[in-house]
Amino acid sequence: MKKIYCNIKKCLGCGSCEIACAVEHSRSKKLDSAISENPLPIKRRKAEFIEEGISVSTGCQHCDNAACVAACMSGAMYKEAKTGLTQHSRDKCVGCWMCIMSCPFGAITREKLEKQVVKCDLCPDRNKPACVEACPTKALSLGTFKEFKQLCNM
Amino acid sequence: MQYVIIGSSAAGISAVEAIRTKDKDSKITVISDEKKPLYSRCLISYLLAGTIDEKKIWYRKDSFFKDNKVDALLGVRVREINAKNKEVILNNKEKVKFDKLLIATGASPKLEDIPGIDKKGVFPLRTIDHTIEVQAMLDRVKSVAVFGGGLIGLRAAYALKIRGKDVSVFVKSESILSQIADKGAAGIMQRRLEEKGIKIFIGVAAKEITGDKSVKGAVLDNGSKYACELVIIGKGVSPNIEIAKDAGIKTNWGILTNDYLETNVKDIFAAGDASETNDIALGESSVNAIWPAACEQGRIAGLNMAGEKEKYQGSLAMNSIEFFGLPVISVGITRPKSSAYEELVKKDTAMNIYKKVVLKDGVIVGVVFVNSIENIGVIGALIRNKADITGIKEIILDDYFDYGKAIPLIKKSKTGFKEQEFKETVMTL
Repeated sequence: MKKIYCNIKKCLGCGSCEIACAVEHSRSKKLDSAISENPLPIKRRKAEFIEEGISVSTGCQHCDNAACVAACMSGAMYKEAKTGLTQHSRDKCVGCWMCIMSCPFGAITREKLEKQVVKCDLCPDRNKPACVEACPTKALSLGTFKEFKQLCNM
Repeated sequence: MQYVIIGSSAAGISAVEAIRTKDKDSKITVISDEKKPLYSRCLISYLLAGTIDEKKIWYRKDSFFKDNKVDALLGVRVREINAKNKEVILNNKEKVKFDKLLIATGASPKLEDIPGIDKKGVFPLRTIDHTIEVQAMLDRVKSVAVFGGGLIGLRAAYALKIRGKDVSVFVKSESILSQIADKGAAGIMQRRLEEKGIKIFIGVAAKEITGDKSVKGAVLDNGSKYACELVIIGKGVSPNIEIAKDAGIKTNWGILTNDYLETNVKDIFAAGDASETNDIALGESSVNAIWPAACEQGRIAGLNMAGEKEKYQGSLAMNSIEFFGLPVISVGITRPKSSAYEELVKKDTAMNIYKKVVLKDGVIVGVVFVNSIENIGVIGALIRNKADITGIKEIILDDYFDYGKAIPLIKKSKTGFKEQEFKETVMTL
């Protein structure tokens, strides 16, 4: 399964991924207009400085046994058979926040007014997720775990 | 191989899905006393409120049984499990043979043993049929009495208030939500409910339901009377363990199982609201009758029925509710009963924000958050993995606390965080 990995050794916690993510998930998909949209677009990643030498960008891990899927009482959160990704159906979501309660990575965010949640969807309209493309140090990558390990020489 | 599953809610359905990932062809029979299952039990109060479209309550496709090659016996009850002959006997006297059996019989609402409880217009709110019946009589209802201030009672009260009814909730415990939230969190929720017009009476219970055939009111244990046309009983649920017990399966509050969710009788498994499992936070056996636990147990029981050897890590109480835009989520122990526990609390009264974590021996065993709920799952993971939180204790209630902040301690942990996804996120540290 391909997903987004972060190499902590390269991450600066600069937040470029967050901005790219929010813009990609905005209505206009352009930074200058996205910042004045109402409601503001919601990012699905978090980049931060943790302590000296540690910065990280995190988001949905598309877990094998996804706790959010088990907790979802409306069937909105599901595993996509073909790709193994954890996907979310807006048509089915009722905004019960059970997935937020269950996600060990805190990777799910409320869209309060819509009573929906949002999470990483790997940017279905793009070849490469916006955050990966925007990362100035190439800390973020899209691929399998094997590919990520090779990339990190581990 | 012949699989038989008794029950077709969260645990039963998850078991079907899990079995089918390992075994595409063997026969699966699902037996349910409900004629139309596949709906989400947790969503019936949303349906009653009218805040969701009816179609959203069907959390699996109509074709689920067909798609999974399941022989579904619906509207049928199991009368007896004959463990020796490996068969279940239905109330129509038919027999169904099994090689592996899952008991996912769920739980039934506790009804109060008071005069008048059988009158027309008294409901628990457990099934879609209850909801449909309540909806059908709503035009004739002006006032509602809800007995019980837990999840079921308050969800019903909320739904009926949204439907424009005059709603009073009578709570015997010292506060609402006493099973899932501490007094601080419950107080904020109570204020919100009252601001929106739901009346709440603490320390009061029903003594009698009055009326002829139909409900006309209730007599309370403080002697006062309350006129109403509808009574909702929300006094919790008790596990349906009778048929298991009769079959010689070990039970306590719920059906007891080993770590692989198999009962003391070989090839008979149990999952969901009917079963009792090790509670991670309490460190003892408990019934956690909640949707996520039922799904997880159903999945693991299903895998093990299909020949896998997957260990169940234990259950954890957790609940999420929102009333009038104010959400509260709790995980684990929120009302510690001894001084062995430490509590950290942070509140912002103007913003209706309340956060509390409960620790024991330096490990988090419970959390409750009101109105600032993002990242509570991270704390849930710390509870599950019994993480030593030295180094993050000071920031754990801060708004910016999130998974990233826990990465150093996850890297250091030797005993927890075994799942591949945790390892992947800390590999490059």
